[in-house]
Amino acid sequence: MTESLRSVSIHVPVLARVEGEGALDLRIDNGVIAELRLRIFEPPRFFEKFLEGHHYSEIPDMVARICGICPVAYQVTAAQALEKLFGVELDPWARAMRRVFYCGEWIQSHSLHIHLLAAPDFFGCSSAIELARIAPEEVRRGLRIQALGNELMDLFGARSVHPVGIRIGGFHAAPALSRIQAMRDKLRAALPEAEALVRWAARIQLPPDDQAFISVALRHPTDYAIEAGAIAASDGLLIEAESYDDHFAERHETHSTALFSTYHQQPYLVGPLARLNLNRDRLPEGIKALLAETGFTLPSRNIFHSLLARAVEILLALQEALRLLDHYTMPESPWVPVIPRAGVATGCTEAPRGLLWHRYEMDDDGRVVSARIVPPTSQNQGRIEEDLRLSLLNFGLDQPDEALRLHCEKVIRNYDPCISCATHFLRMRVERT
Amino acid sequence: MSRVCILGVGSPSGDDQAGWLTVDALLDLGIRTGGGIVIEKLDRPGSALIPLLGSTAWLILVDAMQGEGETGQIQRFDQTDWPHYGQGLSSHGLGVIDALMLAGELGSLPPRLELYGIEVGGTTPGSSPSRAIRAAATRLASTIADQLARSF
Repeated sequence: MTESLRSVSIHVPVLARVEGEGALDLRIDNGVIAELRLRIFEPPRFFEKFLEGHHYSEIPDMVARICGICPVAYQVTAAQALEKLFGVELDPWARAMRRVFYCGEWIQSHSLHIHLLAAPDFFGCSSAIELARIAPEEVRRGLRIQALGNELMDLFGARSVHPVGIRIGGFHAAPALSRIQAMRDKLRAALPEAEALVRWAARIQLPPDDQAFISVALRHPTDYAIEAGAIAASDGLLIEAESYDDHFAERHETHSTALFSTYHQQPYLVGPLARLNLNRDRLPEGIKALLAETGFTLPSRNIFHSLLARAVEILLALQEALRLLDHYTMPESPWVPVIPRAGVATGCTEAPRGLLWHRYEMDDDGRVVSARIVPPTSQNQGRIEEDLRLSLLNFGLDQPDEALRLHCEKVIRNYDPCISCATHFLRMRVERT
Repeated sequence: MSRVCILGVGSPSGDDQAGWLTVDALLDLGIRTGGGIVIEKLDRPGSALIPLLGSTAWLILVDAMQGEGETGQIQRFDQTDWPHYGQGLSSHGLGVIDALMLAGELGSLPPRLELYGIEVGGTTPGSSPSRAIRAAATRLASTIADQLARSF
């Protein structure tokens, strides 16, 4: 008996709205993937041109506008790059509080993604609203954790969306001790909730998946890398941000206005799972023990473990913020003076979605001559396409169109791309040949 | 817990300031936070709206909407009669209706909820709101002020 192989064409014309527009084209001819293209149009590209001519003091507030979810990542990366060029040595207080500020962003961004965007996929729900019907306590807990992350960002940034706290040389202001004490209490109270979140995430039934991929993330000599570190890859690479262009390349593809990044001509993974894969030895002992208890072993080749990785990083970020705020004292000054100089500045941090790299050419007056920003989503774009191809083959190309579409959405959302909010509203058109 | 919480939702994008303008108009009418009343402007709150819902007995929420009416037309929706909402207009997060629906599932809606939508025209970032929207916000503020006067 012979079975005829299907030919299917799936077009998802709109993946996104404001934070980035994207689409998915999938064509299967006679049971073989003939075309698979994720098209993303990334707004952050426009900012590079906007930054030209602007004074260094304006840069943190400008780059915060690139993303409503991870503004701190853009601010800290820009500040790190410019402070390095200007020879600024941050006060230990400012250095520690930058990490705390960043922890707030990881907590809110990861919790948003887990509970409102990704988790519904694994429970057969079309939205967080549906998920709330079957797991109300878990969704409530997620919203509480997300709100705490926002509050932590607000503490140092004066507001959680597009915060304005960072300046080159430190912070504009230091929060009062009374506010820090109140925050410490909330962080401490949230720790059991975050542990419960990790346990819950570890119990979620994930699709079986086993893929070989290169993980790329920052690595720090002692800490779990967030706001500082060298660029590492799972094949042993360890370089400073200045050498990024020697190993990573961006290229245009005709089907996308976003650049595709490659590492030694290959796609690669950035983000929480890549970070855990590379930095599992930097986790606190308590978290290692919790992971051992749940049976989550690292490194992982199941990309769907990204959700669990986010949960783990929420717990880590809460612990880190609490640790760094434990002996908080008011600084003499929250910032140090800055004298600009001409030259090229590079910086690199771990945005919630992965490695974020900035490069600025500055003139003598401290104004931007040119800027280049490589966000995590464009770095993951090639990996997402590769993953879609592999996981669709694993899933089975003979699945019904709707199942194929849902699986594609699940794979895309799993990466938490900046278009993730819109991928819950995928519209598609199916053509059969 | 407040007796009434009035929230104006918006963004600095032309007519999308409708909710904020309504709050401004209420302030001009002398309605202030205090005495059981909370009045606040919110910038695309997303899920951050949900915690606010559980702390009031009566929520009045004003937001811009895009329907089929004339710019400046005001529509009132009650506890259950929310407009059909297919795809959000805001960026990267939950829209107001999504947040209300999620809060409903979580049992976090206030006992009394009124949602006002003001039909908007242009929402170009950084642009000023139109005259029709300013007038609508003033009208709606008068309506809300009358309601409050009758209730308290």
